[in-house]
Amino acid sequence: MSRFTPPSASENPVRRYDIWLWVILVLLAALYPFTQPTTARLLIAIQMFMLITLASNWNLIGGMTGYVDFGHLTFFGIGAYTVGILMTRSGEVIFAPQLSFWQAWPFSGLTAMLFALTLGAATLRLKGPYFSIAMLATLLAMREIVRLFTPLTGGGGGLDLPPELNRIQEYYIALGLMALSVGLMWWIRNSEFGLSLLAIREDEIGAEMRGINTTLHKTTAFALSAFLTGLVGGFWAWQNTYIDPDVVFFEPRNLEMIMAAVLGGLGTVWGPPLGAAVLYWLREFFWNRFLFAHLLGLGLMLIFVVLFLPGGLVGLLQKGRVTSVLDLWRLQPAHEEET
Amino acid sequence: MRKFTFGLLIVLAVLLVACPSPATPTPEPQAETGGQAEEGMPKEEKVIRIGAAVSETGKYAREGQDTRQGYILWQEWVNNEYGGIKVGDERYKVELIIYDDESNPDTVTRLTEKLITEDKVQFLLGPYSSGLTKAASAISEKYKIIMVEGNGASDSLFERGFKYLFAVLTPASRYTESGLKALADAGAKSVVIAYKDSPFPKSVAQGAEKWAKEYGMEVLAVESYPADIKDATALMTKFKDLNPDVFVGAGHFVDGVLLARNAEEVDFAPKAFMLTVGPSNPEFVEELGKTSNYIIGPTQWERTMTWQGQYFGTPEEYAKRYEERWNEPPTYQAAESTATALALQIAIEMAGSLDSDAVRQALLEMDVMTFYGPIKFDETGKNVAKAMGAIQIQDGNIVVIAPEEAAVADLIYPMVPWNER
Amino acid sequence: MSFLQALLNGILVGGFYGFMILGFSIIWGVMGIINLAHGEYVMMGAYFAWAMFRQFGIDPLISAVLVFPVMFVVGYVLQWLVINRVVERPHLISLLLSFGISISIANIYKLIYTADYRSVTVSYAGSFQLAGLTFPTVKTIIFFAGLLLMAALHLFLQRTRLGKSIRAAAQNKEAAKIVGIDINRVYAITAGICVGLTAMAGAMIAPIQPIFPFMGPLFTVRAFAITALGGLGRIPGALLGGLLLGIVETLLTIYVPGTGAKVGTAVSFLILVLVLVTRPQGLLKGLRPVEEGA
Repeated sequence: MSRFTPPSASENPVRRYDIWLWVILVLLAALYPFTQPTTARLLIAIQMFMLITLASNWNLIGGMTGYVDFGHLTFFGIGAYTVGILMTRSGEVIFAPQLSFWQAWPFSGLTAMLFALTLGAATLRLKGPYFSIAMLATLLAMREIVRLFTPLTGGGGGLDLPPELNRIQEYYIALGLMALSVGLMWWIRNSEFGLSLLAIREDEIGAEMRGINTTLHKTTAFALSAFLTGLVGGFWAWQNTYIDPDVVFFEPRNLEMIMAAVLGGLGTVWGPPLGAAVLYWLREFFWNRFLFAHLLGLGLMLIFVVLFLPGGLVGLLQKGRVTSVLDLWRLQPAHEEET
Repeated sequence: MRKFTFGLLIVLAVLLVACPSPATPTPEPQAETGGQAEEGMPKEEKVIRIGAAVSETGKYAREGQDTRQGYILWQEWVNNEYGGIKVGDERYKVELIIYDDESNPDTVTRLTEKLITEDKVQFLLGPYSSGLTKAASAISEKYKIIMVEGNGASDSLFERGFKYLFAVLTPASRYTESGLKALADAGAKSVVIAYKDSPFPKSVAQGAEKWAKEYGMEVLAVESYPADIKDATALMTKFKDLNPDVFVGAGHFVDGVLLARNAEEVDFAPKAFMLTVGPSNPEFVEELGKTSNYIIGPTQWERTMTWQGQYFGTPEEYAKRYEERWNEPPTYQAAESTATALALQIAIEMAGSLDSDAVRQALLEMDVMTFYGPIKFDETGKNVAKAMGAIQIQDGNIVVIAPEEAAVADLIYPMVPWNER
Repeated sequence: MSFLQALLNGILVGGFYGFMILGFSIIWGVMGIINLAHGEYVMMGAYFAWAMFRQFGIDPLISAVLVFPVMFVVGYVLQWLVINRVVERPHLISLLLSFGISISIANIYKLIYTADYRSVTVSYAGSFQLAGLTFPTVKTIIFFAGLLLMAALHLFLQRTRLGKSIRAAAQNKEAAKIVGIDINRVYAITAGICVGLTAMAGAMIAPIQPIFPFMGPLFTVRAFAITALGGLGRIPGALLGGLLLGIVETLLTIYVPGTGAKVGTAVSFLILVLVLVTRPQGLLKGLRPVEEGA
């Protein structure tokens, strides 16, 4: 397993500069709208920022804590529906005036977080693939539950949000959310909290024995990750102007979020953003040139990354060399541990 | 440390590369852009740019293909045979830009935004499915670009108060109207309805409930089922117990296959079996064989219908043209896509202008007969002139049984039970 | 309607689920790999039956026999060349790898067969009456064929030398290596058998399910749920999990008015979460210690 283990904090004890690069990057990105881009380009950037945020949030629980969440989109959906319901139905169903996006948005994160706390109390006790399955099952159950509460959620007919569609405003919201999430990941990774999470990932029982309150730590990570994911969901609902269970709980989005984190490098701060950016760019690339087979290309790429780049792109950059394809092919994998 | 700096720089590079210059447009390869008249040409040719995002991959890959072929058929006709759209005294060639939206709600918004702001299209044609049309039409509405669509039937599309969205197809709530009327006339007394819980089937089911009551039938049960249903035998067993005269199944093609198969399996054989989307498609008959016999389906359009339009002639003439071009018979999704584009063309010619508001006014005033049937829009953008037809599969042939003026055969009622075929 | 009829439907659907997911359960139990490409093997089997039916008019039941050797080779080669390379890695890696395989297979099939929906019409597609109950013919055949194959597989694992090596590899890999079992080969054979069985099930459902390139994931998700519910790698577990899910879904669909089918789906996944939380090893004790699966 050692080969898979992503670089841990101890390998790079001093790194405080990278965050400044991130700040500069974000500031540069903030200037982008001043170059008079078309709104289509702004939208591309918005969607990429959302993917980066999602991948980065997923990494907190999936990469750093080692709880591989296959149903993280549940929180995205809860966020989306919170905003959707508060902006359109609250007048009829909940006895409150209809809220604007800005009033409704914070609730999307809060409901997602509350749900994560409740759910996590049960599922975070599970290990390995069992946690993954429980979360996936939650996601699938949630999609039908949303349909069942038709008066509130519109059921399969969905909800129409008032279309505001101010792309510049949306751009800054997405950018801000991304800057915040990734910055937070950086802070966590360099904090005591983050080290505890890594300890849980490597050896949960050992961490417990060393006096780390593992339940508290992993629940906090889970809730925080859900909070941010819920915010992305709420924002997504608003900018898409329409939600129904199929577009909100859209499996490819669930998958892209995980793929981006793996491609970039699990448990690292900069891996998931890098992976998301590359993934988004690649999808455009395939979409352009191999219209008929772009998903096939993505599938093959996934196989390739798993086999040859287990540490992700960041792992590749840190090692400074590509693991030779032939080297790997010659291995007798099942005996690898002995050699 | 240096490694990390390097890594970050890569992130930066990718971000910056990805932002300004992704996705150079790849217009549909077959799409002849008749208007390539630049320096070399003697007389400058005017061009109208029309855009559409249509699924080529993903969930709606099959239906998207019909839509795309319908659009392209119109474009080739208008450029090569008709000589371009008449705007005042001038002829405009059509440049049609079609992208693949991957059946993905994020992609469809991005492409619509791109078509409007980067490709500078003057008009839009709709994507396939109600959900995608919803996301796309919010954007075209904002830019006051007219979107004429023919593949989003859900009624809720027209309840958002959009001014620039028009649909030539009969909305979902009216899908079962003429079929249920024919069945009521034949003596059917009771109905059960099953629908997939997504926007279009839901509208169909609500409509079916309403029409059944209106024609004096009793609605015994309305059941919804999830999108990822793998087995519907339980549902069919439940209905079997209610012993209704008519079964209405609202879903997409794949649900139609599953529902018919499962009904056969548990021997649920009502006197009439009605499914949306599937039965009017020749492939449905081919794949289901004898099981498909006697199944009734709503149809937007069939080649045997007797409309006569100024362009494309009769439905049969359209179908021949379509077969010649694409080597397969047209589905109604293809025909309605061609009609969508045709309606836009007629509106532009009526308005004599490319201005959105003028064309919108023309669309509102339009009252024409086409190969696809009559087109007349109400204030919300729905086509109110055209009634839905109904077909029945009889002996492997798809024949129109309602409404009376378009019918070519009589309804066979009750149908022969599955196990006696 | 009689409760018995409802129960019978549930049992038959459950048997169909159990047979469908057997290969998934055994691969997971023996190698600790969650094979997300499972549904694609079902799809390949179904397409095989469809193509044979279209080309030569061969009945899907005969195709089900023919497809086994073909898919055995596919499973063996994929395992030998690709999946064996990640068996030792954390489960996320094999999940992602099999996911990559899943997308690739589905999209290759889309290129070959297009996205059109297919179906096979057989003369015995309907139902027969017995003891006042209606039996869907194809599902009844699948149910009994499934039971038969499960019994055969059980005997194979218990009685033959190869079967014993497979069980040994599942229970204690290191010890198995020490006594001279070629783990790679055992894994490849296991994968071959499982993929073959899965494709057989796929061929048999060709007359009752719409066939299209993207039909796989829905089966994979069910397989996931049933295996975790019943216990990993246990043949009775697959059956038990399948029956439980089938019966719950069916009864809820029948007895809850209006939204039964949706309630059925939601509840069956909620049961899964509940079972996982309270009894993570599944209802029956699995082949493989739970901690090791992590």
